[in-house]
Parts: sequence; structure tokens; C-alpha cells
Amino acid sequence: MALFGGIAEFLRGLEAESPRVHTSMLLFGIFGPLAFAFALAISGKLEAGAVRVAALLGFLLPVVSAFWLWATYASMGLNGGYAFFVNTPTGLDAIGVSLFLGLNGISLPLYVMSAVIGLAAGLYAIHTNVERMRLYLILLLTMQGGLMGMFASIDLLFFFFFHEFALIPTFIMIAMWGRAARRTVAIELTIYLTLGAMLTLGGLVALAWMSGAEGFNLIALQLALVDAEHQKLIFGLLLIGFGILVSLFPFHSWAPRGYATAPAPAAMLHAGVLKKFGLYGLIQVAVPLLPEGMGAWAPLLMWLALGNIVIIGLVTLAQRDLKLMLGNASVMHMGYAFLGVFAFSAAGAGGAVFMMIAHGLSVALLFLLADSIERRCGTADLRELGGLGQSAPVLMAFFVAAVMASIGLPGFANFWGELAIFAALWQSASPWVLVPALSGIVISAIYGLRAVSCVFFGEARVNYRGGDLRGLEKAGALLLLGALLVLGFWPRLFSDDVNAAVGSLYPVEPPVAEHFLAEE
Amino acid sequence: MDLSHILLVILLAPLAAAGLIWLFGRRRGGLAAALSVAAAAVVAGLTLYLLYAFWDGAAAEAMSFRWLTLGGFSLSLGFSLNAVSAVMLFVVGFVGFWIHVFSLGYMADDASKGRFFGGMSVFMFSMLGIVLADNLLMIFIFWELVGFSSYMLIGHYLKKGEAAEACKKAFIVNRVGDFGLLLGIILIYWTFGTTQIAELAGAARVSPELLSTGVGLLLFCGVLGKSAQMPLHVWLPDAMAGPTPISALIHAATMVAAGVFLLARVPFLFTPEALEFIAWIGVATALSAAVWAFAQNDIKKVLAYSTLSQLGFMVAAFGFGSLYGQTESAVGQYGTYAAFLGAGAALFHLTTHAFFKALLFLGSGSVIHACHHEQDIYRMGGLLKRMPVTGVTFLIGVVAIAGVPYAASGFFSKDAILYIAHLTHPVAFGILAFTALLTATYMGRLFVVAFLGLPRSEAAENARETPWVMWLPLVVLAVYSVLAGYVTLPVIPATLLPMLDSAVPHPTGDTHTLLVAISAAAAGIGLIGAFFIYRRAGDTDPLRARAVPLWMLSASRFYFDEAYDWYVAKVQQRVAEILSFLDTFLISGVLVRGTAGVAGLCGIFARLMHTGNIHAYVWWFFAGILILGAYAFGLFGS
Repeated sequence: MALFGGIAEFLRGLEAESPRVHTSMLLFGIFGPLAFAFALAISGKLEAGAVRVAALLGFLLPVVSAFWLWATYASMGLNGGYAFFVNTPTGLDAIGVSLFLGLNGISLPLYVMSAVIGLAAGLYAIHTNVERMRLYLILLLTMQGGLMGMFASIDLLFFFFFHEFALIPTFIMIAMWGRAARRTVAIELTIYLTLGAMLTLGGLVALAWMSGAEGFNLIALQLALVDAEHQKLIFGLLLIGFGILVSLFPFHSWAPRGYATAPAPAAMLHAGVLKKFGLYGLIQVAVPLLPEGMGAWAPLLMWLALGNIVIIGLVTLAQRDLKLMLGNASVMHMGYAFLGVFAFSAAGAGGAVFMMIAHGLSVALLFLLADSIERRCGTADLRELGGLGQSAPVLMAFFVAAVMASIGLPGFANFWGELAIFAALWQSASPWVLVPALSGIVISAIYGLRAVSCVFFGEARVNYRGGDLRGLEKAGALLLLGALLVLGFWPRLFSDDVNAAVGSLYPVEPPVAEHFLAEE
Repeated sequence: MDLSHILLVILLAPLAAAGLIWLFGRRRGGLAAALSVAAAAVVAGLTLYLLYAFWDGAAAEAMSFRWLTLGGFSLSLGFSLNAVSAVMLFVVGFVGFWIHVFSLGYMADDASKGRFFGGMSVFMFSMLGIVLADNLLMIFIFWELVGFSSYMLIGHYLKKGEAAEACKKAFIVNRVGDFGLLLGIILIYWTFGTTQIAELAGAARVSPELLSTGVGLLLFCGVLGKSAQMPLHVWLPDAMAGPTPISALIHAATMVAAGVFLLARVPFLFTPEALEFIAWIGVATALSAAVWAFAQNDIKKVLAYSTLSQLGFMVAAFGFGSLYGQTESAVGQYGTYAAFLGAGAALFHLTTHAFFKALLFLGSGSVIHACHHEQDIYRMGGLLKRMPVTGVTFLIGVVAIAGVPYAASGFFSKDAILYIAHLTHPVAFGILAFTALLTATYMGRLFVVAFLGLPRSEAAENARETPWVMWLPLVVLAVYSVLAGYVTLPVIPATLLPMLDSAVPHPTGDTHTLLVAISAAAAGIGLIGAFFIYRRAGDTDPLRARAVPLWMLSASRFYFDEAYDWYVAKVQQRVAEILSFLDTFLISGVLVRGTAGVAGLCGIFARLMHTGNIHAYVWWFFAGILILGAYAFGLFGS
């Protein structure tokens, strides 16, 4: 405790004397991986080992940045508000755009999460031997830089820009290193997500334009007002745009196939981090700024989120490919986060943020492990797999833990997100939603345990090679599992910041507006 | 040391053991076993110290701290020790320790001892969490964790196909129950503004209008799953695929009793209608499971059905006892204990059952070990002579569960339940008395077939008494199975007496005589009848040979499993397949591709750019980024 006190004191002192240290750390987190990517791209012939070490350093920078800033933030007692401002003028000042960065109680935990998942994905990528390793790592590092920038952006154009920055490498990675039918999947994903991004951009521009705000950033917009009619229009654009990006039912079909086809590190970063862009946008931007719009669209959102949980939950039960199953499960769990948004209260939004973090960690872990399984067995078909538990007990332990985390077992981070969302739902405009939403805990248990039983129990059925989980692969998995357990046992590491931030954006109890009731 | 420290050590010792085993003991089976047993010894030692010497019997709360706050929702973690949780603590700590000791012998040759003993410690941690929790959400958290440890331990034998199915089934069926339990807890949270049990008790007393039958029944859903009551009982018999010490610890003595414990913690949350419903579920489970036990030839399955049946007794005791406690005559006779009559009777039976059922399961484990994993009683026989300690202690367990008057503890606790039923509902009394007769008969059958007569297989022929680590726990548990009924003896800590004595209704006068007579008749007819029916049994069951309809009735298990299997295969899976088909072809096939005129245009555009060389894309991408970046940073001048 004294040690922590000392660190906090040191960081606070640093903040007072030279605040540039902290903002530089923020910039390191974002541009560090990009710089390493760039350096790898332009450097001449390098030893394979040197490429790996350089990439690893590139993935480590965001982690250092994230933990530094997290500790500093905790020492500052900011009550969820923004900190670590970077505001660099750009050529676009005329329309109020600048490179405006900073973190608050919602974005900081996501920033930390994205650094951790990035490192795990990086470790796994370095562990696997793919062709054109250098390009593979360059693309991953580019993605990582974009992801870190996405959560650190206060300026909305840069928020969007960093998202695209992370998205485009995904397409390329799927097209180059994906499983069967990778070209088709890559093109479908590209078209779909571009469409979603366009709608989102349209919504964001409309928001800035109609609010008449001073600048195109979150802080300036908080003071701006949009009249109810326009709120509905803008919220609609944003809901569908963000919805497509987060695989809201029925705009989800890109996700399972995309994740199943993508190389594992890309799937980890996309499903784990990038996808959260839409939810983050809804929670941090759309819902607090457009409450009337939210009111009008809430009933639809509710039904679509239930579609995610119940319909896609059942669809998940019918999957025979482990990776497709995980992709569908990931779509299903987004339904909970959407319901948290729907609840329109601090508990619901806070639960949704916690769910995003937990889901990011657990889905990344699951894709890592699923890929380990596939590489060892040469197949991910659940009907052909079996009996791996005896020869790979560590892999089994990790997989069981990851499945348990994702189906919301207490002790893992996911439980807290789900629990807060469930609790918030009973106070929402339609309390009965809690009942179909809770059915998800049974459905997810069924497919999760079925997968465990198919892969690990029984006699070994396929020729198994590669031994147990080991080396960097194990390190990556351990990192993610550790994060899930730490947050599971001590949720307040994040939840107090999240709570303070959502507390200033959301009411404790959801407002009872007429249109909420009229739709019943 | 103050109370909160003692409770904290009790809770965390097994968790620490599990953590150490995970770190160091995965490949060192001996170390894992030592750590796990040491943790169990710490738990047992501190529990006994606490209950005999430290705690004065006054309800105490300790160490409450906030665990999570998000908006209007907050959750805290805290301990409470009161008359109810003390009983459960005693059972878990004491019985748990002896089962750990037994496991040392039983699992000696197992290749995955690390996983087994780690799982045992995780289980002890989770179970103690339920026992010590001071609020319902915390109970729910540990409730889920015991479900998880049960899952891992049932699935211990990875190669066994039935173990894979059984552990999955156990977890999923429990989740179905937890669905209702969590719903009920959330409703309680928003109705009363708290899940703190002590505060709930006060709130329910001050404003009883807030209580509803529905919420009570939702909580009871959790009990249906965990304590395996009808219609969610199907997982428990299958759970016997796990190692036998697990069956004794988790699926007989402690975890399955957690449902009953939950009821006893919150008797004030149930309306009379809910109590009546609960009681009848218990009666139905007690009777049905006793009927089903007759067609089981697997020694552990017979015991599993008897566990179901005894849990039914406990649930019925809670329901009828709490109802009776609300009557004026009960209040007049028992005063403040009247509100706890149901809880008291249920907990009393829970305690005696924990001793004698753990004894019976460990006895069966000893037999299975000696017979080289033979579990079919029709391939045993004559074991009493070959395994005298196991045989005699097993007989004590049979006498206890049959309820032979004054001979062992089962009589006293079952007598209290029959008395409660007698006071509240004559039909239920009749059914439970008949169930007691059936119980004595099928347990008699088990003993006669497996232990008497001549050996029916080579394994039984060559069976020898097991080593002392295995028979010593049997002896200890046998002593408790006999003496635990005489609760005022010092074998039971005096601090448990409020629940095990004052809150347990016992008949007096003529009713007393009547009930002893009925118990004696049920036990006597059952055991002696079983002796005469089964003593000459060859390789097949006499019931099967001579009373086919009865056998069929018993063997059918009323088609619960078949109905669930049909639902899963024919309804759930088909709906899933159809939805999956629609998802693939309608949503992503027709809707997405159909409306994708846009996509077509993109395709044409893409073809124009299509150089066939993916690297071109990469470089285009970076070029674009560079231009954009340069523009954004104002390099082009403005």
C-alpha cells in the first residue's frame, strides 16, 4: 500500500511540474506502434528475429502508456472527467477539427483494455509462423495504433479516422491470410463495414452541423443542443451506422464469417477492440447528446438487441465450426451491451462499458485458443475434434476458463457487466425485457459447454500435434486470462472510474418520457 | 483474532490452496493432495474452535465492504454468522474434512490428482462463501461457483463419455434454475432496496405487503436446480459419473443441500401459498425418487436417488414447517422459534443426512475401490465378511437412513418432519410415511444384495478391506450418524442447539407414541421385507423377474429424461437449425446481397482497381494514409 501511495504521489507531482510527461505518454501509446510499423516497412533486410523483437516493442509501448496513464489518472482524483489533453492544430481549424486527444473514465479503461489485447494479439502473432511475417506484423501494428487513437480521440473526425485506420488492415489481413473463401468474406466485410462507417460519419457530421457547436469534438458538443426532430434523424443514422459496426441484429451477418475467416490476431483485435467503436460511440456520444432521439429509437433498439441475444443465441447452438460458433457467440453477447444502452441509466451504461471491456478480453482469448486448437488439429469442426484434454491439459484449462468467463461465471469480469445490465433492465422502460434477456445465460451455457465437451472430452479423434499450450502463445493467453480474473475479483479497478463518468452523462434512474410509454 | 479474521481465514484457506495447486501442484499430485487436505484441516479446525469456544451464538455480521457500484446498483461483500449458517458451517467443515481424508486413499492412483484436489479446494471455497454470505447477491455469486466446481469434478474422468455428458447436463440444468433465482434476487433488490439478509428480515416484518408469492417461487427455482427437486432433478443421478468422494461431498452432503440452506436463510420471504407449493414439490420428489431407486443396480445410483428423496423430505419440512410456524398454537408453544420451525426441521435433517449419506457414499467408494471399479450390486455380494469395517459402518448408515427408532440419528430428524406433516397436512403425512417405508426397503435391498449372500463376481470374491485413510473416515462418520440425533451430547456444539433443538418440533404424549410406532413399522417392515425379498436374489432383481409392472414403473423414472432429450433434440436443436438456415440464407444471402446494388457498383469499382496483386493495395493504403496525415498536420500550408 505504501508503495502504491508513493507511486501515486510521484505521478501527482509529475502532473503538477511537467504535465507534458503524461501527454507524451498518450502520444507514445498511439504513435509508438505506428512508428514501429513504419520503421519495419521502410527498413531493408532484417533478421526474422529482429523483426519480431521490433514488433514486440511496438506492442509493448501502448501497454506502458496505458498503465502509466491509468496509474496517473487514479492518483489525480478526477471523478471520471477528461485528462491528458493534447490539442494540436491541423489544417482543418476552419471547420473546428484538430488533433484533440484525452481520456475520461469511460475511454481510459477501454484504452487499457485495447493495449492489453493488442499485446496478447502481438504475442500470438509473433508465436505463429505465417508467410510474409513482416507485412503481417506491420499491419497488426498499424491496427494497434489506430485502436489506441480511437479511444483517445476527443475530436470526432479523428475518432472516426483512427477507426478507419484500424479497419483497413483487417480487410487486407483477411484477404491475404484468411481461411477458405477469404476473398469473398473480405469483400463482404469491406462493403458492410464501409456502409456502416459512412452512415456513422454522416450522423456525426449532421450532429456537429445541426448543433451549431463551436468545435467538432465531444467536449464542445456536450454543451450543444439539437432540437427533438433532428435528434431523431441523427440518432437513427448513428444507431444504424454504429449498429452495423457492432453487429446489431440483423446487420450482424458479416461478423461470424469475418471472424472465422480472419487470421487469429486480426480477429482478436477486431472482435475484441475495434468492434467496440460503435458501442463506445453510442455510450459516449449518441445517447447522452441525443436523449430525445434515443427515446424515439429505444423500442427498436430493444427488439434488435433481443434479436442478438435470443435469435443469434439459438443460431449459435446450430454451429458446427468452433470459430463460427465463437463469432456468433460474440454477436450474441453484444446484445447485452445494447440492452445496457437501452436501459438508459447509469447502471445500464456502466454495465455496458464493463461488458465491452470484459467481452473484449474474453473473446480475444477465445479466438486465440480456438486458433491454437485448429492449428494443432488441422480442423475446427466440432464433430471431428475430441479428446484433447488428456494431451493438452493447460490448453483445456485456459479454454474452460475462457468459456466460463464468456458465459458470465462470477470470478471473471464478464459477470459484473451482465449483472449490472440485468439489474438496470428491471428499472428500464420495459422491465419484462429482463426475462428474455436472462434466457441468454442458459443458451450461452449450452453452446459453451458443448464446445468444451466436443473438443476436450472423450477419446482423441484427430491426429494431434504440437503439444500443449506453450511459449508466447501461453503468455498471450495468460495475459488475457489474468486481466479477466483481476477484474472479476476486483471490478472497482475500473468500475469506479466508469461509474463516475457515466454518472455525469446518465441519470440514476431512466427518465419516464411519454414516448417510452407510448410504444409499450 | 476476532470473528471477521477467523471467518476470512476459513473462507480463503481453500482458495489459497487452490491457487498454490494451480501454480505448483499440477504435475505434483502428492503436493496437491497435501495442500488441499491441509486447507480442509484448517477449515475444520477453525470451525470447531469457532463453534465450541469462540462464538457466543449471537448473530454477528463482519467485514462488509463495497464490491461494485454502477449507477443505482451496488453490491457489497460481507460475512454473517448466525444460528442457520453455523449449522451449515459445521456440516461443511467437518464432513468436508473427512471426505478430503478419504480422497487421499481413493484417488491415490489417479493420474490427474492436481486437477482433482484443486477442484475440491475451489469447491470448499465456493461452498463456504455461500454459507458465510450476508447478502443474496453474494450467495448467488458463490452459488454459481459451486456449480462450476461441481461441473469440473463431475467431468474429472475426461475419457468417459458419460462424464462429459453428465457434467454438461449438471451445469445447464442448474443454470435453468439460476435463471429464476437471479430474476428473483433482482426483483428483491428493487423491491426492498437491498439484498442484505438481515435487512430483508426487518423489511419483510415491517412491510409484509411487499412480499409476493411470485418472488418466493423465483427464488425456489434456484433450489429446484441446486437441490435437484422435481422437475430439475435429472442431473443428480447422472452426476454419479464423477469420482465417488465428489458424490459424497458435493452431491450428497453439502452442495445439493445448499438449496435447503438458502430456504432456511430467508424463510421470511415466502408467502403461505409459496410455502405450500414448495412443500408439495418436496413431497413429490421424496416419493418419486424413492420409487425410482428400486430399479437401480448401480450402487451409487441407488444412493443418488435416495439423496433426491431425502432432499425432498427437507424441502417438504421447510414448507410445511414454516406454514405450521405461522399458526397461533405454534407461536404459543415455540415463541420466537416458531418462525424458524421449517428451517429448523429442514436443517436438522440436513445435518443428520450429511453424516449418514456421506458415510454411505464413502462406504460405496470403499466397496468400488475394493472391487476394482465394479459398481453393479448384482456383481457384488458377501462383502460384509470380506470388508468388515466398511460393511458394519455401511449397515449403520442404512439403519440411520431407514429411521430405526432411537438406533441412529435419521430417526430423530425424520420423526420431526413426519410430525410437522402430521400437524399440517394428513395426506402429505401419509405419503411421507409411505416414502419412509420405501426408503427402508430399497436401502435394505442395497445392503442385502451387496453385502450379504455369496459373491457374484471375481472382483467381489477377492475384495479386501481398504486402507485406514479410507476406513477411518467411515468410522468417524458412523459415530456421528449414530450420535448426531442426540443433539445435546457434546458431539454437536452447543451453539448449534437453537436450530437443531429449540426450532425443531418434537411430538409429545399420544402423538409421540403414534409416530414412534409408525417409524418403527416403516423401518421394520422395510428392512425385514427387503431381507426376505432379496436374500436369495441371483444375478437378476427379484422385482424384475416376478413383478414386471412394478419394475417398469420404477425403471421408467416417469420419462423425465426422455422428455428432456426429446425437447433438446427435436425442439431446441431444430429451431436452432432453422434459425441458422434463415440467418445464413435470408439475412446474409437475400437481404444483404439483394439490396447490394451498391455492392455491385463497388464490385465494378474494385475490378477497375484490381491489379491482382494484394501488395498494391497495401501500398495504396499507406500512400493514402500518408497524404491524409500530411494534410491533417497542415503540411500543405493553410
